[in-house]
Amino acid sequence: MKKVGTPEYDLSDKLKYHVSALSTAAKEMALPLNITTHYPRERKRQPDCFRGYMLFDPERCISCFQCSFVCPANAIWMKDAPSGRYYPTVDYGKCIFCHFCIDSCPGGALRTTKIHDVAYKTMDEMFTSTEEMIEPPEIIREDVGVVDYVIDKEDLSLKRTKEKDELIVDVEPSQGVPMVSVCVDRGSCLACKVCDMICESGAVSSVVDEAAMTVKMAIDAEKCTGCGLCVKECSMQILRLVRK
Amino acid sequence: MIDISGLISTIMNNSVNIPLLYVIYEFLLKIPVLGGIVAFLLDFSILGMPVVKSIIGFVLWKPFFTLIIIPGFATLGTMLLVLPWLERKLVGRMQWRVGPREIEPYTRGSIQLLADTFRFLFQEVIIHKDAHKHYFLQFPFLYFIPVLLPLLFINAGAAGHPLVPIQTDYALQIMIALVSLMPVFIIGAAWAANNRFSFIGAVREAFMYFAYEIPFIIAVLAMIVLYGTSNTAEVISGVNQSSWLNWGIILNPFAALTFFIAMAMATSRLPFDIPEADQEVAFGPFVEYTGIVFGLAYIMAYEKAYVLAAIMTMLFFGGGSGPVIPYLGELSYGIWFVVKTLIILLVLVNLRGVYPRYRIDQALSIGWGAMLTLALFALVWSVVVVVVIGVII
Repeated sequence: MKKVGTPEYDLSDKLKYHVSALSTAAKEMALPLNITTHYPRERKRQPDCFRGYMLFDPERCISCFQCSFVCPANAIWMKDAPSGRYYPTVDYGKCIFCHFCIDSCPGGALRTTKIHDVAYKTMDEMFTSTEEMIEPPEIIREDVGVVDYVIDKEDLSLKRTKEKDELIVDVEPSQGVPMVSVCVDRGSCLACKVCDMICESGAVSSVVDEAAMTVKMAIDAEKCTGCGLCVKECSMQILRLVRK
Repeated sequence: MIDISGLISTIMNNSVNIPLLYVIYEFLLKIPVLGGIVAFLLDFSILGMPVVKSIIGFVLWKPFFTLIIIPGFATLGTMLLVLPWLERKLVGRMQWRVGPREIEPYTRGSIQLLADTFRFLFQEVIIHKDAHKHYFLQFPFLYFIPVLLPLLFINAGAAGHPLVPIQTDYALQIMIALVSLMPVFIIGAAWAANNRFSFIGAVREAFMYFAYEIPFIIAVLAMIVLYGTSNTAEVISGVNQSSWLNWGIILNPFAALTFFIAMAMATSRLPFDIPEADQEVAFGPFVEYTGIVFGLAYIMAYEKAYVLAAIMTMLFFGGGSGPVIPYLGELSYGIWFVVKTLIILLVLVNLRGVYPRYRIDQALSIGWGAMLTLALFALVWSVVVVVVIGVII
């Protein structure tokens, strides 16, 4: 059996290690490998896909609730707007900046920025309404330079350049795959009209046949935005999202 | 009636000689208007006594100059302002941090300690219910007596040019006695605080006190044996320390090493900051202090370090000896002394960037084992060196 204990050092080893420690300290004192960014005066250059403060474009939103469904922290709540649509609001007290909402947004209505320094005075202010998400927040810029982290060989070093980093990135929003909702089993339809009630774009219509005592539901593929709300809410689960 | 001219001649005969002042004086006299003002000020006299000249002469009078300027209070005060900043800055560089910076960023946060002092000054001094009120407040101030009195015996001069307030044959002994007195006040302050952390700190302080004190005294004793005197004025010129080959650290490196480790233990610096271990007992004996009294307690370790570093400079690094700087005269010795002391202090304070803290049993075993052996060996070595030098010369 091998026993693990403290290593035994004799005097020469000890002297060697003491000298080594002191000389390392002296070397670092003269030429430190300092990688500190002096934050308010300079900013670290973040990648374009940095997961920061989120902006919202209501023109692209199809009110599909995907962001709200996917949010693991339950930070996104949909609020109804005067236009009858539902738009997301973000509670930054809960948000963990995973940006699943941005990744899941089919229309590209949500997008990220490089803003990571937002301060709130109260907890209530952290609940960001849709109107506040449309325009980027007011930022007081004190920085005069940008810092890039450069990895050369083994060591990390800083590269400082005198320029202002643009915090609002212009990333092309994902177009997504155009989807449309179809009914796969018309015989099972109960005609409960849940799909009709929930549809934001008015793509679902019903035709009442008085003689046969039946109601026929129809989905207009042109009007359908492919938000998938009817698929989620269908009581018989006979609706599917398919590619247009 | 006071014999003014006699008094002035006494002062003038025993003053620090700085030729640069005469150069500046002659340069000022050549400037048209300013020269007239300077000449008038220097000739201005009341009751036959030139006022400005007397003041300048009094400042340059050796007993005053050595006590107040170099190596006395002004040097100590400057060190206290500069040293903690340098320590934080250099240890920060070692650990890839920045250190103090936000206060006066253009000089890299150099007035950080001044700002801290203001903060301490305007903070409330809280005396908690369990404390022995009078002792609690008195001990930090009483601590100043053993810290400041050694300044009287520090010699910043070189061979033949002593810059020391009081010359006595017992200077080193008195300094050691005063240094040894300091832990008593720390333990007293910790006892008066009546707190469990300060109690643990006091016990640790007492343990460490016994661990370093004996090797420390033997190390100094070895140097007294080597030089054959304990007068600080003669120690510098004892073995002709003007050449660096005759410095104490070359003649007896073992005593120097022992003294340095004892210094780290005595000032509670890492790796021996056992009594004040921040993470364990929260500044130990001084845990209950607030405001300016805490500021005093915080600064006292640095004062003690200055006194010990000054003793080390005198004993092992040739005091103020060094290349003579032109036009500065005797002041150049003082400058060399301050530079050497500062370098020793920087090495001492920057140990905390290198070493972790020892456990108390390890520190005690170092003190009673390795250091005591080294100190005794240094004493024997001193005797051998004295005999060898006596035979050769």
